[in-house]
Amino acid sequence: MKKKIIAGLFGLLLIQAAFAAGTHYEMRVDGLACPFCAYGIEKKLKAVDGVSDIKVDLNKGLVSVNMAEGKELSEEQMKKLFKDAGFTYRSMKKSPL
Amino acid sequence: MKGYMLKGFAAIVISGLMSSTALAHDPIFSIGPHVLFKNGVEVAAEMESDKAGNEKEQVLALNLKYGITGDWAVGVDLPYVFKDKGYESSNGNGDFAIFTKYRFWRKDSLGLQESAAVLLKVLTDTASGNKTPSLDKGTTDTILGLTYGYEGRKWYRWASARYRFNGTNDLGIDRGDKLLLDLVGGIRPNPTGYLEPDTVWLLELNTEFGQRAELGGNDLSNTGGTEVFVSPGIFWTKRFFAIKAGIQIPVYHDLNGTQNKSDYRARLTFEWHL
Repeated sequence: MKKKIIAGLFGLLLIQAAFAAGTHYEMRVDGLACPFCAYGIEKKLKAVDGVSDIKVDLNKGLVSVNMAEGKELSEEQMKKLFKDAGFTYRSMKKSPL
Repeated sequence: MKGYMLKGFAAIVISGLMSSTALAHDPIFSIGPHVLFKNGVEVAAEMESDKAGNEKEQVLALNLKYGITGDWAVGVDLPYVFKDKGYESSNGNGDFAIFTKYRFWRKDSLGLQESAAVLLKVLTDTASGNKTPSLDKGTTDTILGLTYGYEGRKWYRWASARYRFNGTNDLGIDRGDKLLLDLVGGIRPNPTGYLEPDTVWLLELNTEFGQRAELGGNDLSNTGGTEVFVSPGIFWTKRFFAIKAGIQIPVYHDLNGTQNKSDYRARLTFEWHL
């Protein structure tokens, strides 16, 4: 009986974690040449509610972030964000965390 | 009259100093097309040291810049000047300057940004007066600039042209205009990641053509001419902080009459993006 309760609680924890994980976004961005100039991207993304774990890969032209549960990034939002940061947004892939 | 004339010439020499309008990864002595991200703020502390014959000028300046959009920036330069000429020294506020830069063309591809911008800068007539040697050029000057930049992960190159419209000062001297042409190459030996320290080496070729000054319609003989500099420099950056340094080494002079030739100009800048 004790084992069943522990297994049940563990299962509940796993289900909760799966629903609370949020979404991983990976954006293709052109014009990323220097790290100092890319700081504007970090600054702009940090201002978006729910964004965490910002990563910039200059060689591959990729910017990735994690979004909190229930929050989303849109294509239009990213186009504007990267334009304001001085770069060109190309595309976006998203996957569950 | 002779004293006034000497003061006038001093003012012309001082006007040769060009405070920085460089943003981020722009060249050190010339201009580039970099602007700031929208609502971004750049704060820079700049030190410059110039020597020409028996004249030495050192400037401490605070530069503040703001990104109105991702392609349009405005800024202000607030200099404090120390000047030595022979046995005389003076110091005080230099002319503050305001400027705006608009990036009108940009072509982005993977790891590469090419762009072009126009610049307008106004150097006010606000320096401390009644100093010997004079810190006051006695007029407002305007600079128009056009610049192109190629910024890759490994290689950089820039080309720029600036035309400085020098005004007529309080002594009635029509200070000759100046044309500045620049070619710059740069290399990042090790393309590093976003959060790693990043180093770029630069080599600039800076050419300055100055018209003769005039007084009452007559050319002043000891004014105007051409100087060419080769200027090695370096950017070192980490995330939102940059150190930029360079030295202008004169390689060619063709100055009219008797004038002090530039011995060197050095610049060191500490820059933060906020």
